[in-house]
Amino acid sequence: MADPAKPRAAFAPWDRRELPGAFDVEESARRVGNYKWIEMRLFEALGGWVATVPELDIKMRLGTHCYHHAWHAELWHKRLPELREMNPDRLTVPANDEIVAFMDAVTEPEAPEQTLEKLVGVYRVLIPHKIAAYTYHRNNTSTITDAPTIRSLNFILQDELDDWRDGEMLIQSLITTPDEVQRAAAHQAHLETLVLAAGGIAGPGSIGDAYATSAEGQEVPA
Amino acid sequence: MKKMLPVEELARDERFVRVSIFEGAADPRSVENRAEGSGRRGPQKLTPDRPEAPDAARALMHGIFMGEVQALEGAGRTCWDFDTGSGRDEAPFELKLDMARQCWDETRHVEISVKLGDWMGTEIGEFSEATFLYEAACNPDPVLRLTGVNRALEGLAIDVFNTMREFGSVAGDPVLEFCEDWMLADEVTHVKMGSDWLRRMTADDPERRANALEFQRIVDKLFSLGGFRGEEDDSPIRLARRFRELAGFADEEIDEIAGLSAEARRDLAAFKQGAADSLTTAG
Amino acid sequence: MAVTVTPETFTMVEFDAPTIVAVVERLIPVVGLPADVDLRVDIDERVPLGRAVVASVDPLVLEIEGGALEDPKRPRRLSEDSTADIVGRLLFRARDQRDPEFGTVPDPGDLSLALATAWDVYATGRLVAGGYRSQRQRWLYAFRNRHGFTDAADAAFDRLWSPSDPLVWADIERISDAARAPVSAP
Repeated sequence: MADPAKPRAAFAPWDRRELPGAFDVEESARRVGNYKWIEMRLFEALGGWVATVPELDIKMRLGTHCYHHAWHAELWHKRLPELREMNPDRLTVPANDEIVAFMDAVTEPEAPEQTLEKLVGVYRVLIPHKIAAYTYHRNNTSTITDAPTIRSLNFILQDELDDWRDGEMLIQSLITTPDEVQRAAAHQAHLETLVLAAGGIAGPGSIGDAYATSAEGQEVPA
Repeated sequence: MKKMLPVEELARDERFVRVSIFEGAADPRSVENRAEGSGRRGPQKLTPDRPEAPDAARALMHGIFMGEVQALEGAGRTCWDFDTGSGRDEAPFELKLDMARQCWDETRHVEISVKLGDWMGTEIGEFSEATFLYEAACNPDPVLRLTGVNRALEGLAIDVFNTMREFGSVAGDPVLEFCEDWMLADEVTHVKMGSDWLRRMTADDPERRANALEFQRIVDKLFSLGGFRGEEDDSPIRLARRFRELAGFADEEIDEIAGLSAEARRDLAAFKQGAADSLTTAG
Repeated sequence: MAVTVTPETFTMVEFDAPTIVAVVERLIPVVGLPADVDLRVDIDERVPLGRAVVASVDPLVLEIEGGALEDPKRPRRLSEDSTADIVGRLLFRARDQRDPEFGTVPDPGDLSLALATAWDVYATGRLVAGGYRSQRQRWLYAFRNRHGFTDAADAAFDRLWSPSDPLVWADIERISDAARAPVSAP
C-alpha cells in the first residue's frame, strides 16, 4: 500500500468535474420552481385520471406514476430553500402563460374513451420535454456547486425514462387502427404546438439554444 | 378534467357490474330462513372449517380487490379535486404528496389482489361491485374526505386484512398470509396518516373536527355492513384492535366502532324483517 | 325423463323454472344418467346462500339454496352457468351413488371436508371433460385448503380432476388420504 502521508491530488485523475456552470443560483432556483410547478400539475392530473380510465392496467400505471411525479415535486420543493428561496411557493410558478395553456390542454381529456389522448399528452409530449429540459440542466449546471440538483435530476431522469417507456408501450398497445394512429398524431401535434409557444417546460431556453454559435457562447441568458 | 367525479362516472371495462348498497340491503332473502333447525343463524366468522370457506374467501378477496381499486381512485381524486393551499376547501401540498403516495400503495394492493385472485381461482369482475367505498371518498371537504377514507375506509381494510391473514395462517395458505401481512402494514400507515392530518387541519377548528368525526361515525356504521364487521364471535370480519391501536386509534374510539357495528347489525335485521313483512303482505 | 323444479314460480328471486329445467335436461346425457330418469330439483329461494345436496338418490332429488344458482354479479337473478356447475356436480355424485361398481359412499352428510372436496373435484373434472366450463383454479384452491398447500396435494388434485381411468370411491379415499399425509423428512 502507498504511503498514507504522501500528498494526493484533491481531484482524482478520473474525476473531471469542473467549477463553471451555465446557471447561477437565481437561474437554477427559477428553473427548479418551474419544474416543481409542472410536476405538481402532472401528479395531480394522473391522480385525477385514475378514476376516469377504464383500462385496469393503465389505471394502475397512472396510480404508480402519480407518486413518481409527486416525489419529484417534493425533491424540488426541498431544493428551493437550498437555493436561497425561503418561500418555495413564490417560485412554484409556471414559466409563462403559454405553459399554463399547454398544461390545461394536456389535462383536459376526461371521458373514458379518451385514454389515448391522456397518454399521448403525458408520454409523447410532456415527459419527452421534461426529459429534454432535465437533461439539459444536468449537463450544463456546475458539477461541483450544483451537485445536489444534479443528484435529484439523476433520480428524476431515471423515473422519467422508465415512465416514458411504460407510457409509450401503453400507447402502442392502445393503437390498433390507422385512424387511431392519426388520432394520436393529431393530438400530439396540437400539444407540441402549444409547448413550442411556451418554449419548453421552463420557458424559452429550456434546452438551451442549438443555434447559438460558439462565438456567441453556449450559455443561455436567464 | 372537472373537479369532483361522481360515483356514476367511475370508469370500468365491461367485466364489472355495479350493485348499489341499497339493492343488497333490500334483498328480502335471509340466512335466517335456512331449513335445518340446527343451522347457523346470521353471518358467520370466516374460518377454514366452514364447508364453503374457500369460496367465501374468494368472494371476500374480490371485494377487497374492488375496494382497493376505489381507494386508489379516491386517493387520486384528492390529488386533483382540491387546489393546493391551506384554505378550508383546499388541500395542503404535503397532504397531496401523502395522497399520491397512497395512490402508489393502493395500486400495489390492486396488483396484489389480482395476483391473489389468480391464486384463489377468482376472475376479475366475477362478483358484483359495491361502490360505497368511493362514495365516502367524494366528500367536498378535504378533512371529511380524509377522515372518511383514511380513518373509516382504511380502518375497515385493517380489519379485513387481519381477518384474511388469520384465515391464510389457519388454512396453511402461505401466499394469502404473506400478501395480507404486507397490505396490513400499508393500511396501518394510511390510517395513521389520516389521524395525523385530521389533527393538523382541525387544530384550530373544533367544529370542523367534530364534523369530521361525526362523518367518520356515519361511514364506520355504513362500513360495518350490517354487522359483517364487528366484535361478535360470528362476525365474518373481526375488529382488529391491536392494529387499530398501532394506527393511532384510542381505546374509546375502537369501543365506539364496535358499538356502531352492533347497532348496524340490529338495524339491518330490522330492515330485512320489514322488507320480508312487506313482501308477505304484498303476496 | 321427467325433470321438475319447485317452486314453479319464484317470488323472491328472478328465477325461471323452465330455464332451469332446460339446463338440467341438457346435463343428464352428459352425466350419463338414464334417459328416463325422474329428477326433482327443490330450490329454497328464501336463502341467498349456496348449500346444494343430493337429498335422495332414488328417486333422484336435489335440494339447493337459491344463492347457489344466482348470478354472482346480479343478485337474485339466475345464472345458467352456475346452475349447470352446481347441478352437474350433484348429478355426477348421484350417478356415482347409483352405480354399484363405484362402491359404497358414506352418508354424504358425514363426509369430512377433505373427502367431500375430493369427490367434488372428481365430479367437476368430469363435467369439464363433458364440455362445461368451470374454474379449475377455484377447485384447486378449495382442494389445497382441505389437503394442504403442497406438491403432493396438487398432484392428487390432478389425479381427481383428469383421471386416466374412471375412479371408484376407494380411489377417492386413497388419493385424498395420501395427499393429506404428512411429508416425511428426507
